[in-house]
Formats: sequence, C-alpha cells, structure tokens
Amino acid sequence: MEGLFFNIDNGYIEGLVRGYKNGLLTQSQYLNLVQCDNLDDLKLQLSSTDYGNFLSNVPSPLSTSVIQEKSSDKLYGEFNYIKSQSTDLLTKFMDFISYGYMIDNVALMITGTIHERDRSEILERCHPLGWFDTLPALSVATDIDSLYSTVLIDTPLAPYFKNCLSADDLDDLNIEIIRNTLYKAYLEDFYKFCQEKLPIPSNEIMLRLLIFEADRRSINIALNSFDTEITPDDKLKLFPNFGKLYPFGHTQLSQTEDIESIKQVVESIGEYKNFFDNSNGKTLEDHFYQLEMELCKNAFTQQFTISTIWAWIKSKEQEIRNITWIAECIAQNQKDRINNYISVY
Amino acid sequence: MTSEANKNRTLIAVIGDEDTVTGMLLAGIGSISSELNKEKNFIIIDSKSQDEDIEKAFELYTETRDDIAVLLINQHIAERIRFKVDTFTKAFPAVLEIPSKDHPYDPEKDSILRRVRRLFGE
Amino acid sequence: MSGAGNREQVFPTRMTLGLMKSKLKGAQQGHSLLKRKSEALTKRFRDITKRIDDAKRKMGRVMETAAFSLAEVTYATGSNINYQVQESVKQPRFKVRARQENVSGVYLPQFEIDINESINDFKMTGLGRGGQQVQKCKNVYTKAVETLIELASLQTAFIILDEVIKVTNRRVNAIEHVVIPRTENTIAYINSELDELDREEFYRLKKVQEKKIQKAEIEDAEIRAKMQQQKLNGDSKKLHETGNGNSNGNGAKENAEGENLLDNQDNDDVIF
Repeated sequence: MEGLFFNIDNGYIEGLVRGYKNGLLTQSQYLNLVQCDNLDDLKLQLSSTDYGNFLSNVPSPLSTSVIQEKSSDKLYGEFNYIKSQSTDLLTKFMDFISYGYMIDNVALMITGTIHERDRSEILERCHPLGWFDTLPALSVATDIDSLYSTVLIDTPLAPYFKNCLSADDLDDLNIEIIRNTLYKAYLEDFYKFCQEKLPIPSNEIMLRLLIFEADRRSINIALNSFDTEITPDDKLKLFPNFGKLYPFGHTQLSQTEDIESIKQVVESIGEYKNFFDNSNGKTLEDHFYQLEMELCKNAFTQQFTISTIWAWIKSKEQEIRNITWIAECIAQNQKDRINNYISVY
Repeated sequence: MTSEANKNRTLIAVIGDEDTVTGMLLAGIGSISSELNKEKNFIIIDSKSQDEDIEKAFELYTETRDDIAVLLINQHIAERIRFKVDTFTKAFPAVLEIPSKDHPYDPEKDSILRRVRRLFGE
Repeated sequence: MSGAGNREQVFPTRMTLGLMKSKLKGAQQGHSLLKRKSEALTKRFRDITKRIDDAKRKMGRVMETAAFSLAEVTYATGSNINYQVQESVKQPRFKVRARQENVSGVYLPQFEIDINESINDFKMTGLGRGGQQVQKCKNVYTKAVETLIELASLQTAFIILDEVIKVTNRRVNAIEHVVIPRTENTIAYINSELDELDREEFYRLKKVQEKKIQKAEIEDAEIRAKMQQQKLNGDSKKLHETGNGNSNGNGAKENAEGENLLDNQDNDDVIF
C-alpha cells in the first residue's frame, strides 16, 4: 500500500539514485586502484569506472587535492540535479540534508568575521552542498551582533540558532562548541521531521541512520573533550537527545575521563561492541565508517523509500574519502596502509 | 650580531603550501601578534600567489622581523625565489628548506647543501 | 721576494733588530696557534657538514610521515581542517631558545626547544569528528618540527663556522706569507746594514792606525836625525856632556811608545 503513490513524485528520482548507487566503486575496482604505481595510473583506472574522464582537463602533474576536488564536484553536480527534480516532501528532505553542511559554512563565516578575514576567501572555502543564496550576505556583517541578526533573518538555520545561542555566545564560545550545539539541534530537528513527516518505510530507515549519526557524535565528543574546559553539563548539552545511548548512556558518557570508561559505556550497546577493538590497526573512526556503510548498504534493500538518497550521499562521500586515501598512499609511498579504505559494495 | 640581539628570536616562521602550514600550526608554532595589524608568522602560498608575494614574505621574515629564529620554507616555493634564498647568507634567522607533500625533498636544490658540496669540491 | 721593497721602513740599529726578532717570534707563535684553531674548527665543520647531510635526509622521511598523518586527519574528519586550524591559532606553543656553545673561541648558537604544554589552541578542533587523529597528527608534527629545529641549529653553526674558518685561514695565510717573510727580510736587512757599518769602521780604524804609524815613523826619523846631530855635536864636547845626552834620548822614546799605546786602546774600543 505504501508504495502505491510513491512513484508519482519520487519514482524517477529513486531510479536515478539507484543508478548512481550502481556506479559506486566495487571491491574489485578498489583492488585495481590500490595496485596503481602513480597518480596517472590511478586516473586511468578511474576513467573506466563511473567517474569517466573527470580528470581529463586537469593539467599534469596530478595532486591528491585535485582528485578529491574533482570527484567531490561530481557528487555535488549529481546532488543538485536530484534536488532540482525533487518535489514537496522530498525537497524538504534534501534541504535537511544540506543543513548539516550549512552549519559548517555558517561556522566558517562566524570564524571569518571574528578574525576579520577577506569574505571572498571564506566563500571559496564553503562547502558547496551547504550553499544557500543568502550565504554571501552573512559576510556583510562586521560585528557579532549584526552577524547574529543576519543569521537569524537570512539563514535556514535560524530556528537552531534562536533556541540554543545568544549573540553573546558567538563571541565567547569556542567555534567548535557553537558548531556542535547547532549540529545537535539540527539532528534533533531532522529526527523529528523523519518521525512525523516521512512515510513508512523511509522513516524507519532514516531513523536508524540518524540514531547512528547521533551516537557517533556523542561518543566522539566525549572522547575528544578530555583535558578541555568543557564540563560534564556542557557535554550533555552537546549530545543529541536521542539514539541508543540516550538518556542513560549520555549521563555516563559526560562523566567519563578516560577511554576505558567510555569503552564500558559504549560496549553496553550490542551493535557497538567491537568499536574499541584495535586489532588489524583499525581505529574507532574506521569502525564508525564501517558501520555507517553497512547501514547505508542495507538502506538500499527496501524499495519506495527516499532514504536511499541519504544513503547514497554518505556512500559517495565515503568513496571520495577512499579514493583520496588511496591517492594519498600512492603519492606518498605509504603502500602498507593503502588497504585501510572501506568498501561494502 | 651579538648574542643579545638573538635572545629575542624565539619564533619559527613558515612559508609553505596549505598542508605544510597546517601541520606546522598543529605543532604549535603559530603566533598572531596582539597588535592591530595582526601580523602572522605563517603564510600560505598556493598556485595563485605571485612570486612578489613570496619575496615580500621572505623579506619580512628574514629582514624586518627580529623575533624569528628559524624560517621554514617549502622547497618548491624556495625554488621560485631561488636567487633570494641563495643570496641570503646570514646565520639568523636560519632558513631551512623543507619538503612538502606533493614535492619530495631534493638535496640537489638546497642552497645550503649546495654550499656544502662546493666546499668539498664535488 | 726579498727585494728591498718587502721590508719594514726602519733604521738599522741594534735596538730595532731586537724588536724585529721578538716580533718574528710572536708572529711564529701566533701562526701556530691560529693554525691549530683553524684545524679544530675545520674538524668540527666537517663533522657538522656530515651531520647536516644526514639530517637533511632524515628530514625528508620525517616530513613524509607527518604529511601522511595529515592525510589521516583528512580521512577521519571527512573535511579539510586547514581553515579551522589557521583560525584557531592564537599564541605559539612551540618556541625556541638560542643557547651558545663555545668551540675554540667561536660562539655557535644552539636552538633549544621550548614547548609550553599549557597552550593548546586546537583542543576543540575535530570535537565532533576526528579529534583523536588531530591530536595524533599534532604530536607527529611536533616531532617533525623538533627534527627541523635540530637541523636549523646545525645549519646555523655551519654558516657561522664557515665564516669564522674563512677569517682564521685568511689570518693564518697573512701571517705565513706576509708578516713572517717581511719581518725576516727586515732582520736580514738590519744585519747586513750593521755588518756593513762594522766593515766601514774597521777600515777607518785601519786607516787611522796607518796614518799614526806613518806619523810615528816620521817623528822617529826626526828624533834619530836629531840624535845623530847631537852625537856629531857631542863628539866635539864628548868630554863635557856625556850623561846629559843619554838621558834626553830615553825620554823621547818613552813618549812615543805612550802615544802608541793610546792608539791601540782606541782601536780595541771600536772593534769591541
């Protein structure tokens, strides 16, 4: 029943995304990539994949940053195409996806304004997926107060700002705290949206993915805030208020002072049990990525869902990271670590 | 060039590409003066930077400022203002050519190493 | 080399000779000291040069590792942290101090690392993602910069030593090839001048003596002529004045000998 009207609005897009998904690099393609001796070889190998001749207009010599840039450009192009085809609920969903990047951009603008940087320089560094029309307007603001009101008026992020931060906070708080406060508000809002607005089964899948995202952030914040002036109460304010660790895990996490105690808290969740397993040289970050990719892969198993878009974007981002990693290993002659990429397709 | 004058030299300056500068900053060498002009002791050179900018930065760190003990410069950037680097023979600040991510180190180009070679008649 | 031009403009006296001799001695001593200093410095210099060569190669490897750890950060954070890092910078955590080290009277600077652990501008960087990699990368780069500072010390020492060795060698050469030959020439010149004077004096005295002898002979002849005359006269008055004539002749002879002695003494005096 749920799939009955899905194709009216979203059929084309789902087909498109599944097409893109099939273009994701497979294990055997990765095997070819890691055997390259130099970046030109890599370019050749990539040209036989979905990337085609995306590097054809790049003058030699190739550098890893160019590869990263060009492959990201491809993703942004595809994302924008989908977005322009989307309607109603899906557009809203896509907006939500880009809010995450917008937070980064706004944080960037705030930093730039505080340090009186050149605006064109900052705009250049903004994440293309987090671009919104009024973003350049932000840089007009010269002091914190006017910046705050400009953010409230001009950006889609206004609600997150209004409820969590005051104008004074922008000046006093570390930019990382601002960023994470915003991100928490954003994740909670996104969670609510998926819960209330999305049809089955999109919501089920999205909630699963968002819960993981929230837990990952909580664990990361707890882990990275050792030896900083963030108090346990402050930490609690940065954890998104949902997820498998919520609420008891959060209180415990905020009190932790070393890795061991975090490990104990996290390992009480069955799915996260092997996060702190250091064998095979895998770091916590690797485990996160691995699990995220598994979840994304599973997201494709159900039909009539827009959650595939999220899963596809995340997979694609991971793929770009993988390619950059492999390119970096090749360029810097560190072949022994080259197999650290994560591939699930 | 008394030892007193060198007592103030405590900072490490860097002229480099983005990655090198980021790394050095992570190590904690960065300093932004608290005065109005907010002078930095690091500068990022990319493909868009003009050779004049590099020269200016090089002069700033070697001649104008007296609080810099060591100047790190990426070798491929030093290559762009080679004559300047080669003619700089003072002991302070020590100018050190370092490799960057995309440009591995080539001892043949290093002005100090070339001097070493010349001294031993190689 | 030993032409008249290559010596100092001095009066060839015995006192100057003494001065020159002590000057020569001083120059020789200075030369051997400087030579030894130059050797000590050169030894150090070669040592440093070798270490620079090694250190530069080591730097290549260390920087590679460091660059790679930055790549890990990029992988873990999923985005570029460059800008965040640049904007988080406030004050230097990593500084250096210059310490002096004395090598044969030359002060070589030695950079000492001065890390202020209480400052960390990047504690929060990567809070939501990849913070651990950021800290790890920070440590790797700290190590890398330590290597670089070590190299910078060597390099500064290299430049200073190079300069000092050049100056010292210049001095050694100046003493060896200019000062010493010049002083030696001056001494030789004074000696030859003095010898010349001696010879002149000797010849002069000889001449004086000759004159004196001639004079004495003439006087002698005169006296003898007189005596002859007296004898002739005395023959006629032989009976009356015998003792008187005798005593007179003796007195004249004694007088002549006395003058001769004086001459001799004078002669000795000059030769002495």
